[in-house]
Amino acid sequence: MKRKQARVTRQGAAGLAGLTAIALLAAGCSAGGGSATASGASTDVAGVTITVALPADSAPPAAALAAFTKESGIKVNWVISDWDSLQTKISAAATANTYFADVTNVDWSRVGQLGKLGWFQPLEEYLDVNALKADMPQLGSFTLDGHLIGVPYDSSYMVTTVNTDLFAKAGITTMPTTMDEYTNDLEQIKAKGVVEYPLNIPFLAAEGLSTYWYETTNAFGGAVLDASGKPLFTDPSSPGYKAAQWMVDALTGGLVPPGNINVNDGQGEQTLMAQGMVASTLSDYSGLINSLYNVTDSSNVAGKIEYLPTPGVNGPAGNLSNPDGMGIPTQAKNPAAAAKFIEWFNSASTQEDFAGLNGQDKVWGSSFIPSRVSVVEKLAQAGSLADGEHLAAMLQTASPVFPEGAPAWYPTFSNAVYTNLHAAATGSMSVADAISAIAAVANQQASNG
Amino acid sequence: MAAPRRSARPTPRGDDARRGVVVEGDRSDIATSTTRPRQRHLDALPYVLVAPVAIFIVGLALVPAAFTIIESFFKVDALHPPTRFTGFGNFVEIFHNHAVMNSVANTTFYVVVGVALSTILGIAMAVLLQHPFRGRGVVIAILILPWALPGVVEGILWSGIFDPNSGLINGLVATFHLGAGNGVLLGQNRLLTLALIEIVQVWQITPLSTVLIFASLQLIPGEIYEAAVVDGANQWRSFASITLPLARPGIAVAMVEAVIATVNIFDQPYVLNGAASTGSSVTMQTYFVSFQNLNFGQGYALSLLVALVTVVLSVVVLRFVYRKVEL
Repeated sequence: MKRKQARVTRQGAAGLAGLTAIALLAAGCSAGGGSATASGASTDVAGVTITVALPADSAPPAAALAAFTKESGIKVNWVISDWDSLQTKISAAATANTYFADVTNVDWSRVGQLGKLGWFQPLEEYLDVNALKADMPQLGSFTLDGHLIGVPYDSSYMVTTVNTDLFAKAGITTMPTTMDEYTNDLEQIKAKGVVEYPLNIPFLAAEGLSTYWYETTNAFGGAVLDASGKPLFTDPSSPGYKAAQWMVDALTGGLVPPGNINVNDGQGEQTLMAQGMVASTLSDYSGLINSLYNVTDSSNVAGKIEYLPTPGVNGPAGNLSNPDGMGIPTQAKNPAAAAKFIEWFNSASTQEDFAGLNGQDKVWGSSFIPSRVSVVEKLAQAGSLADGEHLAAMLQTASPVFPEGAPAWYPTFSNAVYTNLHAAATGSMSVADAISAIAAVANQQASNG
Repeated sequence: MAAPRRSARPTPRGDDARRGVVVEGDRSDIATSTTRPRQRHLDALPYVLVAPVAIFIVGLALVPAAFTIIESFFKVDALHPPTRFTGFGNFVEIFHNHAVMNSVANTTFYVVVGVALSTILGIAMAVLLQHPFRGRGVVIAILILPWALPGVVEGILWSGIFDPNSGLINGLVATFHLGAGNGVLLGQNRLLTLALIEIVQVWQITPLSTVLIFASLQLIPGEIYEAAVVDGANQWRSFASITLPLARPGIAVAMVEAVIATVNIFDQPYVLNGAASTGSSVTMQTYFVSFQNLNFGQGYALSLLVALVTVVLSVVVLRFVYRKVEL
């Protein structure tokens, strides 16, 4: 009897092991098998579950997603991921021709790359683009060769923020409109000892430094690349060159905190502003007054920060946009359902809900500034958006960093921008050498196509 | 007189029984049993039991490794198709890539300093833990925590400690008027940046080194130390002549683990110092080449070189440090 029991155990173990092996094999074999390309995708959306992966800190309120499910029959599996990881997943999944989400992030800076590679489906097949265009000025940032590959769900754009209290303490009551005035004011704030370091620039070698340079170049009256991707910043008198020199001089001249050499454009930089340690950020993000600077739990400058039209050469410069969008990967299982979700998510009523116009229970914490001008204007009228009138006006004139669309090789270019500008800031290379190195990358990539 | 009846099974006696030694009087029984004709039949159970792990290893390690080796000889550039054979072209381009070569120098620093420091600290901490004391288990549990934390979490944690405005390090520097002016700034100076990043990694990998070496020390019989004391050896002599030689298997494994961790360092420099050349590692460059530039062919080549370097360094460590110890 005992012997028989032992045999049963042995057989059971063998069976279990065998089953595990088969399961592993099956899992391995089906890794890409679960995907369905657009051609074979389902068009019947009722009862379908879609996966949505966006770089947000939180999912929208469960009630909002439930309402969408009730309305459309589509269930939503929301996946939270940080921006960098998500970009890697997008690349890895597309390269391996494998499904990972039905809706995911399309960052403005990758539109050229993603469009050229055909990794996202053209949305004009699913959405009324003209209707969206009328209310979403940043839609152009997601269009490549006439194809829309993403819809902006957040209208982030670069703005200048100033601590009016610190400016006033230095005797400055009229806000600067030109770069010369702005620089003089910052020097005056430092000279009068109001704060030791009045200007915020995130010099960590990361995307935020590139973004800051683009906006500063815009303030000096130009752009960084021409329509064919060739550099416009190699001449010392060019806006791009002046911008780089101005940024590095600001650090070495004591306008920027020395520790900013390792500060990013996120929490590190914003904390300095929120704690009143700096007086201004030339290239800040729209919506931060509402979401951070006026939040007394995390800020001691509530009510003191204002948006300022970014100073320019002879008057205010325009604002550059850097919105986050969402699109449908080519490997999406349910593109029709995904399109329905994108339509609902970016509708005026949903954006109003997320922005808090219809009660706090519908607010989505990861929403900053809605991408629809009509919703921003409503928020401003309702007094729900600090300095909302300025924001709404700036949103209407916010323009893409690359009017012709970001080049396909943008990530390589941006890497060259932030690593070399960072090196110039540390003093390990001159601004001229940094500019040459960045230009060499742009020229090489533009030549390769 | 009749001969005493033998028992059917060998009879271990005393200490020999504990060691599993069979007493000499039972040899005939063993001889008898070995003369029986063996019935050799295939037992599938071991193979079936090993199958899941074997499939796992083949599927997730060997197949990707083979794929990497093959593809490293092809130009696989998503932005510039089609894929085509390029021989050693990817490897040649890597050696002409300034950012990659700069990261090789940084990674060499991480490996040399990281392996040396984590091993020395691991030995020191293992020796301190060698003799039982009250609360030793709790100390070991706390000690292992840094190793259990993800690298990104550690990077974020230490970026707070190194924060130029509100961090602990610069707070101390300001309080005690140390340093020259701007305090300790990550990213400002290459050597300082490398050192600060490596401190974070050593903090992470030393617990594992400690535990591995500690396990070796636990196998050393106390009698050897007692004999050394009787022979007049002082503590240093005991450490140098008993502890270190007998702990060599553990030290070798700890060093190999440190080699693997330092050659592949990514999280700490990326989180603490961004993409800056002052701290960029080879694996970071592999990531940039592969997932930013989408030049997967070069990425495969770089990955292959990283793997080869890891294997070669590990073999060198085992060759010179590892010794088989029989106690």
